[in-house]
Amino acid sequence: MTKEKLYKGLADAVVDMDESTVARLSEEAVCNRFDAYETIDMGLAKGMERAGQLFEDEEYFVPELLMCSEALTVGVDILKPHIRRSEREDKHKIVIGVIRGDTHDIGKNLVKLMLSSAGFEVVDLGRDVPTNTFVDRAVEESARIIMISSLMTTTMEGMKEVVSILQERGIRSRFKVVIGGGPVSQGFADKIGADAYSPNANHAVRLANELVREDAREPK
Amino acid sequence: MNSISPRERLLRSLGGKTVDRPPVICPGGMMNAAVVDVMTSGIYKLPEAHHDPDLMSGLAGNVQRETGFENFGIPFCMTVEAESLGSEVDYGSLECEPKIGREPFPSVKEVEFRPRGVIGRTARAEAVIEAITSLSREYEDIPAIGSVTGPLSTAASIVDPMPFLKDLRREKDAAHRVLDYVCGELEDYARLMVEGGASVISIADPTATGEILGPKIFREFALPYLNRLADAVHAAGVPVIIHICGNVRSIKSELALLRGDALSVDAMVNLKALKGETPGITTMGNLSTYLLEFGNEGSVGKSVRALMNQDIDIMAPACGLSTSTPIENIRAFTSAVRETG
Ligand code: B12
Repeated sequence: MTKEKLYKGLADAVVDMDESTVARLSEEAVCNRFDAYETIDMGLAKGMERAGQLFEDEEYFVPELLMCSEALTVGVDILKPHIRRSEREDKHKIVIGVIRGDTHDIGKNLVKLMLSSAGFEVVDLGRDVPTNTFVDRAVEESARIIMISSLMTTTMEGMKEVVSILQERGIRSRFKVVIGGGPVSQGFADKIGADAYSPNANHAVRLANELVREDAREPK
Repeated sequence: MNSISPRERLLRSLGGKTVDRPPVICPGGMMNAAVVDVMTSGIYKLPEAHHDPDLMSGLAGNVQRETGFENFGIPFCMTVEAESLGSEVDYGSLECEPKIGREPFPSVKEVEFRPRGVIGRTARAEAVIEAITSLSREYEDIPAIGSVTGPLSTAASIVDPMPFLKDLRREKDAAHRVLDYVCGELEDYARLMVEGGASVISIADPTATGEILGPKIFREFALPYLNRLADAVHAAGVPVIIHICGNVRSIKSELALLRGDALSVDAMVNLKALKGETPGITTMGNLSTYLLEFGNEGSVGKSVRALMNQDIDIMAPACGLSTSTPIENIRAFTSAVRETG
């Protein structure tokens, strides 16, 4: 099988939630000594991107998207040990969580899953997360992006507090703060001094990629 | 028909009979109207009132009087059911609703089934039933609505929601077994509410939305259990309201199969259009909760009058109220319904 054909087969299998085909093709990529990093990037991740699009178009719903991600994980587990160190592109680490008081975490979990399948290293702080914890953990993990989710108007004020804490500690410029969730908007992001807002999981990946690129250009 | 009581008006509306004007209600549970303003001006407060029957009925009474909603809505959260089935609950504060701290079961296959009737035997459920009993004895004219969390939302509050949603595709049989168990418990709990004197049962199932599940899974895992619960309540002798959150675009044909007496939906749904598409349906809703929180008395009144032109049978908030909703806006809502009707 040619590389291109195998990549396409992998992407299709992810979209079809077909774990056994993903496993078979991933093994085949390893046997053929195809580049593991490229196989993930051009095959599995492409499939997940398409699944995300189907979700945005309301052809797939949450259970389908989760099953696609499950299929992707099967492939990643097979391919990952074969990635050569030098090739591990340094994508930024992201901490993500749902703000304190709020336990709505389905949306946050989808964002996390799309980010990880796009190659980001995501540290999940869970839900009902105290504002200080976002900052403490972002520092500990040397993350570059802090993502905060809130589904309730009563809890979204906590997002502002995270930004304030960063300012008070004099480390605001070390992090990009990205917010999302039902009641949140670009206007709210501007108001509280967050760096960006994203309306859905797919868009959050594009946004994270942009932030990484911007960051690479900015002198530190 | 001027002398019609709020209870009779609501029951007539749910029965599809003529009324002088639509009732205006807020059923409790997910759609809880115990906002901060009501509590700071009265003696009954959360989180204490989540546990004690006297505080609970006292608070429900204050809510009814202060807001002008034409019902008592009990309880004030959606955690009673899941807690009884094993979940850890954090009761929140005056401003913040109770929430599930942790779902005990990592997947549908690992759920421990408790002996039948467990929800009704817990202290919190007993407080709920007692509060309903005393309110319905004391006020015959005002309907006490018992709020029950829907089967799928309850199941996804005892099983970690992410594996749970996956299990709806990969562990269908085990998922059905869990829903069957949960639904049986909810039926018993609702029956106890009815025996206590609840005039109406309201079921809200936020995790069972078209947006999250899509039409196929809604049809297989949400619809049959909602209907089973509704049938059990009917058999106990009272009508049922079913609330479906979010945009219902993808599940229109499934909604027509629901056996509730009224369908309550979120603000983005046009109830006039829905009525056109689903003849015979009794509609409930759907004043935007964002408007209620951030609007003013003028904009609320205007919106209520516009909604009343949509021929809505029962006026209510579109979904769960924010606890910081100003009491003036809620009053503007309920009085506009009374004046316009
Ligand atoms: C499902 C649901 C629940 C489930 C949650 C299960 C779970 N573990 O998550 C349960 C039943 C537990 C629940 C409980 C409650 N709920 Co609820 N719930 C919902 C509902 C219907 C859907 C949310 C959802 O999961 N959507 C599907 C996901 C995929 O979409 P999403 O979350 O929007 O995420 C997408 C985007 O927003 C974005 N995104 C999300 N986060 C982030 C973060 C970042 C960084 C980025 C970039 C993007 C991003 O990407 C996601 C994927 O594309 C919403 C209404 C709605 N339509 O939103 C109400 C809603 C959020 N709930 C509401 C309420 C009131 C409650 C309760 C307080 C009810 C009560 N009285 O007890 C409790 C909450 C208790 C608490 N303190 O937390 C209100 C909030 C009102 C307010 N104050 O603003 C809402 C808005 C409905 C309403 N109007 O009543 N609920």
